[in-house]
Amino acid sequence: MTKLLSFKGRVLLEGSAKGEALVSKRAFTFAHGVEPSTGVVTDIRSDLRGEKVKEKILFFPFGKGSTTGAAWFLETVRMGNGPAAVLTQTAEAMIVTGAILAEMLYGRRIPVMTDFPETIASLIHSGDLVTVETKTREVTVSGEGS
Amino acid sequence: MHLTSEQERTLSGERGAAKELAMTILAKVGEALGADSLVPIKSAHVLAHYSSLHEAGIEVLEKFSSSGGRFAVPTTVDPASVDLENWKSFGISQEYAEKQFRLCAAFAKLGGIPCWSCAQYQVCNFPKAGETVAWAESNSVVFANSLIGCRTNKITSGLDIACAIMGLTPRFGMLLDENRLAQVAFRSTIDRPTDLDYRSLGYYIGRHSGSRVPGLDGLPRDVSSDDLKHLGAAAAAGGPVTMIHYVGITPGSESLKSASRGERVETIDVGRKELDEVEADLNQSEEKPDLVALGVPHLSVNELGQLAKILDGKRLKGGTRLYVYTSSQAYDLAKRSGVKREIERSGARLTHSTDAEVSPLKKLGFDVVMTNSAKLAEIVSSEGEVKIRYKQIAEIVEEATS
Repeated sequence: MTKLLSFKGRVLLEGSAKGEALVSKRAFTFAHGVEPSTGVVTDIRSDLRGEKVKEKILFFPFGKGSTTGAAWFLETVRMGNGPAAVLTQTAEAMIVTGAILAEMLYGRRIPVMTDFPETIASLIHSGDLVTVETKTREVTVSGEGS
Repeated sequence: MHLTSEQERTLSGERGAAKELAMTILAKVGEALGADSLVPIKSAHVLAHYSSLHEAGIEVLEKFSSSGGRFAVPTTVDPASVDLENWKSFGISQEYAEKQFRLCAAFAKLGGIPCWSCAQYQVCNFPKAGETVAWAESNSVVFANSLIGCRTNKITSGLDIACAIMGLTPRFGMLLDENRLAQVAFRSTIDRPTDLDYRSLGYYIGRHSGSRVPGLDGLPRDVSSDDLKHLGAAAAAGGPVTMIHYVGITPGSESLKSASRGERVETIDVGRKELDEVEADLNQSEEKPDLVALGVPHLSVNELGQLAKILDGKRLKGGTRLYVYTSSQAYDLAKRSGVKREIERSGARLTHSTDAEVSPLKKLGFDVVMTNSAKLAEIVSSEGEVKIRYKQIAEIVEEATS
């Protein structure tokens, strides 16, 4: 498969992941915004409403909402519905905290990267096949979504 | 991020499993957020309600409490998901209550102060200006930074427990002078704000500040700390606001100029039109409510007294419940002063140690909730299960009572 695009970011939690991209252009929250038992985005103000975060490479620009975000994220992972990796424009404490606990409690390593350029949301589309490799600080789009 | 040699030893497990886990979270999150070091805190305020922490959150708290964890600083806690005294009479199932009790037990084992309030700064946790704290409840973060003049970031769940156990917090964001200046100014042109106006104004500020620290001018001289509690809570619900420079009120913010340290900032006028927009956005239904929820954040003992006067001689209509949410301390005072009896004479019920936004409204069978809390409206609507009617107290009482 041809390598289409790649981006460098800052690594917050290490790991590698591969999956379909799920891209939001709006502020995102797991707290009251993602149903942990299904992984479905329920937030009526999200542009991803109705989508599933499970095993996706989730991108959103920045977080919002209740400080319980880490707990909702962790519960989503515990229920087997967590994303494969999380990428943001601005570092999001709730995701980092939730992902650290997810590895400690459930042995699930979810790489987290941040500081991507603003343009990334218009260059990666939901459904694209994306690879995340924190060793090279790189996110690569290897295939376009159908 | 710089760690002291003692912090490095804690990180490598030399101070036990609970501190190792706490330090790992502090180090990683601190690094992620660009903190340069960890600094001491005077108090912590943490989250331990089942509705948001879920099973995973119970496991986190129990992991800390069963591995020798102990809070290093005075640590208070946000409302529980059930009224810890009267939960049965509110229709909470044994199974649900027991989940909350596991969180209560773990919190107690960690040595926490069981205040179970989101307005802890009005009842049991009083920092002084200039102190650094680590508080997890967004409304209390705004209150702390804006009115008390102490410093805290909005601490996320999980990180809150880590801060409390180590007595430390990452130094970044609102702990730094340069991040505490007003970067945008709002000017209220509302003449005599109602209860709802204060909340809508806060929500508007939350929605339009972006990541900037807002200043606010134009409030009436007689604005109360309770009004500002609700305004700040609404701002934090509407956006990432952690501080508001209330001109003439916030320490060091005698004028907009001093709040921004002389920098020119964008000024946004907020009048009736803007508040009407907020109301239209938050009010999602005109159906008959099955619950009226007053609180979020907890009403103070003064507010309970005012409510008793408003409800005097009124009687709740059939088919509607009215729950009034407060802290255990204000509940106790209202009981002893007779205010509780006055409120409940109308058919309303006073409830403590829980709050509407953390209680299982849908499970309890409520489909339409009427409230004057912008924070409750925002949280409930994002879940999409329960509809909100957002009205001022005068209209609520008019409609719900006869």
